[in-house]
Order: sequence, then structure tokens, then C-alpha cells
Amino acid sequence: MGRVSRFALLPLLAVLCVITLGTADTQARFNDLGHKLMCMCGCNQILLECNHLGCPDAAKESQELQAAIGKGQSDTAIMEAFQAEYGPTVLAAPWLSRFNIVAWVVPPALLLLGLFGTFFLVRKWRLRAASMPDVPDDPASRDMRERIRRETQI
Amino acid sequence: MPAFGSFALVVALALSAWNLLAGGVALRQLATGSRGAFAPERLAETARRAGMASFFAITCAAFALVWAAFTNDFRLIYIAEHSNRALPWAYKFAALWSGQEGSLLLWAWLLAGYGLVLRMRHKVDVKLTAYASTILAGIQVFFLLLVNVAATPFSLVPGGVIPADGNGLNPLLQYPEMVIHPPMLYLGYVGFSVPFAFALGALMMRYPGEKWIHITRRWTMVTWLFLTVGIFLGMHWAYNVLGWGGYWGWDPVENASLMPWLTGTAFLHSVMMQEKRGMMKSWNVWLIFSTFMLSILGTLLTRSGLVSSVHAFAQSSIGTWFWVFLVIVFAVCLFTYILNRDHLKTEHKLESLVSRESSFAFNNLVLLLACFTILWGTLFPILSEFVQGNKVTVSAPFYNRVAVPVGVFLLFLTGIGPLLAWRSTSMRSVRKNFIVPGIVALVIAIAVIPLGVHPWTIFTTDHEGAFYAWVTFALAAFVATAIFAEFFRGARVIQRHSGQNLLRSVVQLTRRNTRRYGGYIVHFGVVLIFIGISGQAFNRSVEATMNYKQSMNIGPYRIECMDYSQDTNANYDSTYAILNVFRGGHRVTQLDPAIRFYQASQQPETMVANHSTPLWDLYVVYAGTDTTTGQPIIKAFLNPLVMWIWIGLIVTIFGTGVALLPNLSAALAAQRSRVAVTAEHEPVAAGRTGD
Amino acid sequence: MTSAALLACATLVMGSLLYVFWPDRNVEAQNAKTRLEYLRERQEALYDNLRDLNFEYNSGKYPEEDYAAQRATLENEAAEVLAEIDLLEAGILGNHSAAAQHS
Repeated sequence: MGRVSRFALLPLLAVLCVITLGTADTQARFNDLGHKLMCMCGCNQILLECNHLGCPDAAKESQELQAAIGKGQSDTAIMEAFQAEYGPTVLAAPWLSRFNIVAWVVPPALLLLGLFGTFFLVRKWRLRAASMPDVPDDPASRDMRERIRRETQI
Repeated sequence: MPAFGSFALVVALALSAWNLLAGGVALRQLATGSRGAFAPERLAETARRAGMASFFAITCAAFALVWAAFTNDFRLIYIAEHSNRALPWAYKFAALWSGQEGSLLLWAWLLAGYGLVLRMRHKVDVKLTAYASTILAGIQVFFLLLVNVAATPFSLVPGGVIPADGNGLNPLLQYPEMVIHPPMLYLGYVGFSVPFAFALGALMMRYPGEKWIHITRRWTMVTWLFLTVGIFLGMHWAYNVLGWGGYWGWDPVENASLMPWLTGTAFLHSVMMQEKRGMMKSWNVWLIFSTFMLSILGTLLTRSGLVSSVHAFAQSSIGTWFWVFLVIVFAVCLFTYILNRDHLKTEHKLESLVSRESSFAFNNLVLLLACFTILWGTLFPILSEFVQGNKVTVSAPFYNRVAVPVGVFLLFLTGIGPLLAWRSTSMRSVRKNFIVPGIVALVIAIAVIPLGVHPWTIFTTDHEGAFYAWVTFALAAFVATAIFAEFFRGARVIQRHSGQNLLRSVVQLTRRNTRRYGGYIVHFGVVLIFIGISGQAFNRSVEATMNYKQSMNIGPYRIECMDYSQDTNANYDSTYAILNVFRGGHRVTQLDPAIRFYQASQQPETMVANHSTPLWDLYVVYAGTDTTTGQPIIKAFLNPLVMWIWIGLIVTIFGTGVALLPNLSAALAAQRSRVAVTAEHEPVAAGRTGD
Repeated sequence: MTSAALLACATLVMGSLLYVFWPDRNVEAQNAKTRLEYLRERQEALYDNLRDLNFEYNSGKYPEEDYAAQRATLENEAAEVLAEIDLLEAGILGNHSAAAQHS
């Protein structure tokens, strides 16, 4: 099979991918939410990525998630139910609530601050900088310049 | 042998302590001009020799531990816990670093090894090396104290009851990559001690000029390479062994290795500004200080149980030691800096917002911010517990949202950096240099849309993966074009001068300035890695219980179950499935995913089967056995573009190798300037007198 | 502890002590860097910058006026350094180098 035809298959793959994500059917929702929850057995893995054999929690949690989706609960309700049952560490990333908001805000805020800071610092440096310097034109300087140029030819 | 091993560690500690004390006293005497019973030079020489001898002593200890592993000496707790009789010899060797005590011994040994090379090469700058050697001895004393007092690898089984067999090596670690991943990572971590020691030493002695950067340049690059290779081996291992379908889980231990890598990368870049322009001196000093402290902090985080991690085998109570050490290091750095900060005045000023210098400043900002974001995410659970009384999890979804955009921005800077010349660049030349890469990026950005990369899904769904992948593809095209253009432009100049063909000109161009063009090759490797990572946005998986002759489909592949069975050997039992993979009616390959159950450790372990192609990996895992039917549960993943990550790593290694070569022109230029100096000396002097 | 282990330990200690404290007449002196050495490093750095600049100009990355201004700046700086090197080499400043080192 040639490379060209392999690449031709990529759109097929991606289109399928987008369709399954876009329609938000049960399986996609399960997949989605399952990646936002943690396995609670202590393996520290995302629920749907937990693959260690004989895990006491992953299967149970998956079933609960499947059941909740089957009942038509909203994403928020499901997440809240999980949080109530397992504690806040079951969420793979903290919610935008109370103190947790700090977790999300600090890095982008620092990025903006840093960008502005660097920008102004560099501007300050630039304002201080000189443009075309005076070039001394006495014979000694000319000799020196010639010597430098000879020694720094590429 | 155990007695000899622990004795050798005591000798090593004594030697390192002598190196630190005698070295410190000698340097003090030389600096103040006072004299003791010994001549300070003589004292400094004994210190240097003690440092070199400590390497030999630690080697004896490491040899004793490996010997114990090979002779199944289960009198040692360490060997009983990390080895067993049936373990293959290569993994017995790896027992040296598979547990905490052994890892720390390895760490001390590598540090002494780096120190040996440094002390042997002391003639590059005797005084500066004496400072660096003494600082390294301080670090070595800490690690030797640990293995002598807190985590002794030669402790004997209590009560003298020798077990018949050991617990064996953690099966997750019984994999070829795992034999070399930890030493590589440690070589990286430990290696940063050398530029750290030089930077601190240069600041302590108020070293004039920037030569110390020149001296440590290769150290830094080699160290960076080791750390990079270590991280990627870990990724490759996670991908092929852990079997969850990915290679990076944002686990605290992974984060711990990435943080010093980021600051180390920032240091590699910004140190060039100091070497070339005498700028950003304080910044660089603090970058290398932070890099060193982050590698210690990484160990602290993962070994103290402060944050929970997949790498649970590494937990213990030595956290306090690391805390104390970290505080001492920080205090020494801060004190030295405050005392000598006037020595770090900048000689030049940035001249323009668009010069390469300012792009380096932004590059540093972004790398540091990426490092901070990861540190923030890793430590936030602790902060949360402190502030609101409960732990939270900060895992992949957080980093995907927060760190990925930063990574994409970094890729952008990788592209524009080389396009900007040193010193100021006017807008006109910027436009000129940006036009071709810009057009290529635009073409690629449009071309990938019909291939299925739909950036607008960021608005229609809450998945931003496709959008970032789209941006990455466009930027990758931009950066790659910019790099090729850079090689092309340079080669044309060479061609004009020498009349060689383009290919030879490219080679000559690279050899003239290996660091720059090797660096560009590394950048190209990074581009490939980014492409590989962005494939993640299109990962898919299916899972099914399979009977004989049953099949399932994923992407263009059809997977058919041929057989499933069990097997036993001395080390493990294995349960496996034999799967035939078809594509368009043709049989492509056979995959045999398995589960192994290790006898000694009584632990199960999945064996991934992976069919890797440039376009995608077909990655199959034996996820379990159906308890009612006994049939295998097979999980198949289709992971696009993963191979490019490993190809990118190879390109990166090659590029770093090129950057390590000496410049061709440097030797020639030195020769030329020597000739010129002797020839020109008279006329210039004559010119001056004639003035 | 067996006698073999004892022997090994004793050898290790004796070897280390002898190696570390064996009298050595040819100890490397820790010379401070001279002003001349410092200037040579500066000269090399400036020359590298100039070579870089020339090369980048030749590869078409600079407009003429940028190139001229930057070359002039670097050349002025290099000229100062070279002049001092020449003076030092001629031995006029010779012995004052250490005093001037940190200026």
C-alpha cells in the first residue's frame, strides 16, 4: 500500500472522528466524561485510561458513569454525583469554583504579565540604545578598522 | 562484599568531605592571602585528588552492590527486595537503580564521575575548576551522607534470616528501555550540577569575562541531551509497557523531569546572549541555579510522598534530607548573589524589539512560564489542601488546557528566532525573511483542512485538540521552511565563495558554525516531535471481547482473533491472544498482545502489541479475560503520527551531536588571526607612533 | 567480616591516603586571569560577532544601513580592545594589568 493512499485515508479517519464527537451520542459522552474523571484506586490514572489488571475501582466507576448517562443526567449532575461519592479528587481537573479558580487563572495571568513585562523591558532597552555611532576618521583608526575587517572576513 | 561496600561508602564520604573542607580552606587562603601550615596550592591539590579518589571509592561500592545482585546475596535487604534468582542478568544489573538506595548510590557515582572528568581537565582554568570542584564536593557530601545514613544500600536482613529467593524486580521495569532510562535521566539531572558549580564558582570568585560559559558549554549540551533522551525513553516505555495508549500522563514524576528540562533549555539559549553580548548575566545565573534546584526538588517531590504518583515504588522518608539540602543550596546561591551581584552588570543593551536577542528573551519567558505552569499544577493539590482543606486532582485536562497553548507559542518562537538576525533587525528585512515561510504555513494550514483537521471544532465542541493540531501543523510548516531557508541562504554564501555544489556547501556551512546549525537541526527535530504529539487529537480506540475467528474494525484495519492461550516459564506465566490484522482484504501483520504474571513479585503486567507506521500506530492491548467465557478482552487504539515523535528524537540527538563538534572555522580563524597578529603588529604600532 | 574483605578495605584506605597526600612538587598554580587574557577573550567574542554579522549580511538577512551601523558599533568596540591589547603587548602597561583588571 503506497503512502499516497494512506494519506488519502486520513480524512476518512478524521471525519469519522469529528462526527462521533459532534453528535454527542451516549458512547461519546461516556468517553468524554470518562476522561474528566480519575480512577480512585490510587493508580493516579484517568478513569478510562486506567488499565491495571484487577483494578478494584475502574470497572465500578465506569458502570456508574454508564448508568448515569443512560438515565439521561446532565454532565454537571453526573460530575457532582461522583464528587459527592468519591470526594473532589475524582475530578481530573479542579472545577472553576471557589479557590480552585486560582489554579486556572494564575498561569495565563502570569503569561500576560510576563509578556507585558518583557515587552516593556525590551522597549526600555531599545530607547536607551544608540543608533549609528561616530566613526573616527584618523589614519590610526582607519588602519585598525582595516585590520579588523581583514581578520573577520568570512 | 556488603561490608566492603558500606566501608567504601564511608571512605568516599571522608574523601569528599576532605575535598570540600580542604578545598574551601585553600580557596579562602588564596583569596585573602593568608597562609596555614600547608601552602594553599598544595592543600588545593590534595582536595582535587580526594575528589578524584572518591570516584574510585564509590565505584567500589557500586561494584559491591552489583556483585551482590549477581551472586543472589539475599542477606542484603536491597537485593532481596529488588532481585530474584530467575531474573535475567541485564535486569540484575539494573537492580542497582531500581530501588531508592541504589538510585541514590548511582546518583553519587555519576556525580563523582562528572567530577572526575572535571578535576582531570582542571588545566583549562585551574582556579575556576578549584571552585567548581569544591562546590561539587559539597553536593557529593550530601548524597554520600544519604547513602551512608538515611538510605543505606548495604543494610542486612534483620535477624539474620536469609530469604531463599528475592521479591524480584518490579515487572513494569523488566523492559530494555527501563535498563537505560533511569541512568540517562540521572545523567541529565546530575549533569546540571556541573554548569551549576561553574556558575556559582565564577560568581564567588568574580570571574572576569564569560569564558566559564565556553568551558561549560559542552557539559550543558551533553547534560541536556541525556535529560532529553531520558525523558523520551520514559515516554517510549510508558507507551509500550504501561499500555494505556498514551505516552505522557502528566504524572508528578514526569513533570519533575520536564521542569529542569525546560529551565535547562532556557539556559542553553540565554547563555548564548551572555557569551556573545555580555547580557542577561543575573538572569542566566538564576536560571542555572533554578535548574539545579528543580532537579533536587523533583527528587524531593517524588521520593517524599508529598504528591501521589504512579511511581509509587520510589516513596520514602528521605524527604526531610532533601528539604534541608534545598534550603542550604538556595541560601548559598542567594548569599553569593547578593554579595557579588555588582559583578553581573550587563555590558550591552537590546537594541530593538525584533532583534534575535529579544526573541531569546521571549523564548526564555515562555520556557520559564511552561515550567512554572507545570510546577503550579504539580503543587496545587498541596496548596488546595492547605487553603480549602481538601486535595484536588490536577491531571491531563488541566495541562491540556493550560500548557498546550504555551507549547504552541514556543513552537512559534522556534520559528521566528532564526529569522531575526543578531542586533537590530528592521521591519523591512523581517518582512523579507518571513514571506516564504509565511506562505508555506498558509498553504499547509489550508491543505490540512480537507484532510480532516477541522480547527472550528473548538467552537462547536469543548475539544480544542483539533484546533491546536491545526495551528501546530501550520507552525511546523513555518518553522521547517524557516530552517531550510536558513541552511539554503547560508549555503549560497559558501557556494559563492568556494564554488562547491549546494550539498557540500551545506556541510561546510554546518561545520563552520556547528552550534548554530546543529541547533537548527535540533529545532527541526522539535518540529517533528510537535507534529507527532499533535496526532493525539485524533486518537481513537475500540474494545471488544473476542472469540475465535471473531473480528473488530478500527480505521482501515480489521482485527481477527486467531487464537488465545497460556504459557509458563520460570520468571512469569503469560496469557496471550494471536490476532491477524487485515487492511483492504490483505493481511498486514500479526499482533500478539499478552498479560504476564510474574512469579516472584506476584504482579501482573500487560504486554502491548504495536504495529507502527509513519501515518499511525495500531496499538493493541490484552485488557483482560472475560470471566464467564474465558475469552480475551482486546482493546485497540489507532494513534496517528506517533512514530514522528521517535523520529524527531533521533533528529534531535543528531543535531545535538553536530552542535558538540568543534567549529571548523574556529581553528582556521585562530590560525589566521595568529598569523595576522604577528604580521600586523609592527605596522600598527608604527602607525601609532607616527600619529 | 572475612579477611579478604578486611584486606580490600585496608587497601582502599591506604591507596586513597597515598594518592591524596603523596607529596607532589609540580602543583598547578592558581593564577588569576590577566587583563591581557581577558582582552583576548573579548576580542575573540567581538570578532565572532563581526564574522556572524558579515555572514548574515552576505546571506541577505540585513538591509545595508542596519549592517553599516552595527558593523561600525562592533568595530569601534573591537578597536578599543585591540588598541589596549597592543599597548599591553608592547609592555607599556605591563605591570598595571592586575590593578586594572576589574575596571
